[in-house]
Amino acid sequence: MSSLKPFNKLPGLNTANILLVEFEEQFQQSLADALVEETAVTVNVRLAKSLPLPKENEESRPRIDLVVFIINLTSELSFQSAEASLKYLDPGFFLGKVCFMVTNARNASVPTERLDAVRKLAASLHCPLLFAEDQTPEGLANATERLLTILKVTAGLIPMATALYLSNLTRCTVPPDIDQPTFD
Amino acid sequence: MDPSDVVGTLNHKVEAAALNGAPAPDCSTGQKDTSPADMLRMKQQMSNQCFEMAVQIHAGKSKRSCSTSEAERDLPDYLSELERIKTIHFNSSLSLHRMQMWHAIGEKLKQNDSEADTLKAVSDRCMALCSHIKQVQQESKKLQDDITEIQKKRLEMKRLTHEKMKEMEELMSKKQHPDTEKYKTALEKGQKNLEKYKKMTIMTQNVLRGILLACKVNWLDDPKLRDIAMTLEEFPISD
Repeated sequence: MSSLKPFNKLPGLNTANILLVEFEEQFQQSLADALVEETAVTVNVRLAKSLPLPKENEESRPRIDLVVFIINLTSELSFQSAEASLKYLDPGFFLGKVCFMVTNARNASVPTERLDAVRKLAASLHCPLLFAEDQTPEGLANATERLLTILKVTAGLIPMATALYLSNLTRCTVPPDIDQPTFD
Repeated sequence: MDPSDVVGTLNHKVEAAALNGAPAPDCSTGQKDTSPADMLRMKQQMSNQCFEMAVQIHAGKSKRSCSTSEAERDLPDYLSELERIKTIHFNSSLSLHRMQMWHAIGEKLKQNDSEADTLKAVSDRCMALCSHIKQVQQESKKLQDDITEIQKKRLEMKRLTHEKMKEMEELMSKKQHPDTEKYKTALEKGQKNLEKYKKMTIMTQNVLRGILLACKVNWLDDPKLRDIAMTLEEFPISD
């Protein structure tokens, strides 16, 4: 099985490549449109439903700087698909080149266990966990901005920061009392 | 293929591409005006990427088996060390930039052209403002000191007033008590005596009146007897 490797190809000059993995294939479209509007850097956005990526474009695909898993908390399938896709990533990616983005966290129908499970997953992999609001344009702009910040670091465009360093600063941590029942 | 091999060859390739400075196939469009700043930026980017790949190679080489919990324990120490070094580096580069800028300003001022004149004007204005600021600050400090002095005095006055009031109250309460004590007993005694003598007088007057009436003495004619009989009526009969 082919797995995505971080250092397989040459990096592009003044470009940043981001891969958005989302099971529903909804939010990634609007995010992609917002991301390519960045003018200082050439941002290439690749969209995928899940990993592994098809072998056909293996040659033409550029080097991926950042892989973002977008998980919709209202559906269990989303989480399971993301978890299954993790297997097809080379371990070298998890040193700062993977990010989890979660939508619909404020929805009342979301069971708390799912958010806890996502949190634990992100914490065990030492990856940052971002919360995004996908219904409003401000939420979209916010999410885009944060993704761009992380993307610029992973593409090497920020002089004194590397992806590994940033991931250590921004990684998700699990509060020690996460398994205790909350008061609802 | 051995990952470290791949990364090693890639490393050489990237360095070669960066040194050439030729536009890579990825950015053939839209890079017509690569100013020196842009090129420096791209060079930075490439060196960053090289650094990451070098880290990857290095990590592959030194394989030390340790458990994740051990690694988790050591991680914060390494991180804090890294942050410390980074802040030192940042501070030193900041001071270096400052020195460079001052040197550049000095050189410019020496050149004595129009820009230098504007620089001089600006710096003179800055100096004037700074001295004005200092003066105003001194004045405000003096005023603040005066205010504090006055407040202290006021507080002192208040305290003294309070003390005096307390003393006065104490004295007044003290004076009443012993005087009334002595007075009370004397007063009671006097009143008791007065009552006693009053009763005696009334009784004797009644007796005298009775005697006068009983003996049918004509007291109207005799002036001395009349005076005595008149005074008998002054005291009320029922006591």
